[in-house]
Amino acid sequence: MEEVKCYMPETLEEALEIKSRVNAIVLAGGSDLMVSNKRTIGLTPVFDRPVMIVRNLPELKKIYINDKGECCIGSGCTSAEIAASKLCPWHLRQAANRMGAIGLRNSATIGGNIANASPKGDTPGPLYLLDARVKLQSIHGTREVPVADFIVKFKTIDLHEDEMITEVIVPYSEKDFDYVFWHKVGTRKANAISKITVSMALKFNADDTVKDFRLSATATGSKTNRSRDVENIIIGKKISTELIEEVVQAYDKVISPRAMPEFRREATRRMIRRFFGECARHAEGKVIETYDGYRMPGAIEL
Amino acid sequence: METKISFTLNGKKVSLSTDPLRRLLDVLREDFGCTGVKEGCSEGECGACSVMFNGRMVTPCLIPAGAADKQEIMTIEGVRETELGARIVQAFADGGAVQCGYCIPGMVIAAYNLLQDNPDPTDDEIRLGISGNICRCTGYDLIVESIKLAARRGK
Repeated sequence: MEEVKCYMPETLEEALEIKSRVNAIVLAGGSDLMVSNKRTIGLTPVFDRPVMIVRNLPELKKIYINDKGECCIGSGCTSAEIAASKLCPWHLRQAANRMGAIGLRNSATIGGNIANASPKGDTPGPLYLLDARVKLQSIHGTREVPVADFIVKFKTIDLHEDEMITEVIVPYSEKDFDYVFWHKVGTRKANAISKITVSMALKFNADDTVKDFRLSATATGSKTNRSRDVENIIIGKKISTELIEEVVQAYDKVISPRAMPEFRREATRRMIRRFFGECARHAEGKVIETYDGYRMPGAIEL
Repeated sequence: METKISFTLNGKKVSLSTDPLRRLLDVLREDFGCTGVKEGCSEGECGACSVMFNGRMVTPCLIPAGAADKQEIMTIEGVRETELGARIVQAFADGGAVQCGYCIPGMVIAAYNLLQDNPDPTDDEIRLGISGNICRCTGYDLIVESIKLAARRGK
């Protein structure tokens, strides 16, 4: 097997300079790339093009709130760091906290999770829900793209050869809503690839009409699903049984699960009905559903 | 493509020239003789190869050696020399936590990772702390009990 060249930049500037010359695979945590390129026990993974290791770049490790009040997360932040950060939006922290298991969460990064563009990825659901953008940097400049556009389709992203994902910007958080919902269905609580994950958020106007409603679902098609048309069915109106059913039936047409379609459709329908039901009766507390009391000590508090 | 990689291994500065894309797991076992780092699933799910990387548990089967450059690694060989590590190892022996033993170095690392932050965990917190470590012999109960024993002895 031929060995490819491996770059180990120590600064972002150096990394971008390398990217301007070489179309290198950017490897951060390794939890996707080291598995997809692995051979067998004791053997070195084989990559088809040069690799650049960015795991320890300090520039990609920051989490802060920018002057517009948006949460900015360095692409090299791990799931564990996001789950533990009170600056990060609630939905995203829930997803980060249920990704893989502890050891993996200390490696896997948000940049990698987006770049992998798996329809079952854990972070895209909340990122779609909250209108998140990715910041893409090259030596020629910076551009920002909504995550929902950046992930073009299954395993395909809108990234130029000389670019790197450097930041994820999330403009909304749970504070912008009255009720939030996040639920992942997995075969077990740790190390589970999502069977289906639904994220929702809702805000009322003073007259009990719906001001804002959002809904995204992962593992229900070739990419994460969100539909403004479906959300608009209920926005501006009061929640009623008929409207809930209209949303449920319309969203059912948006999703296109391949394996176990009827299970995934029914689970999605039930979660939507349950969320609206709780919102309509003005349930106490903002959190309608989280993650079965599976709580990282000290990490998650709303 | 050989590159020089230097890191701190169990408190000592070490360096080697190797392909930076070799798995850290293989480098630790083959180049540094840390055979307590066990390979199980090779894809980050079983936790048998767990080591501490800058003070946090990771699975080195997923980490290229180049990512360890200038970082701090502690394997079971280093953890068992610490007060907390030795206490966990003794509690595992006294509590009957070990059957075939293959998962145990990873389990000790997981317990160490848990107890360093949370010296008095509940049962649920212990089960969460070892949720990334798979054991096919014990059914986990004696491991959980042994971690409780280690925590008790630390008081």
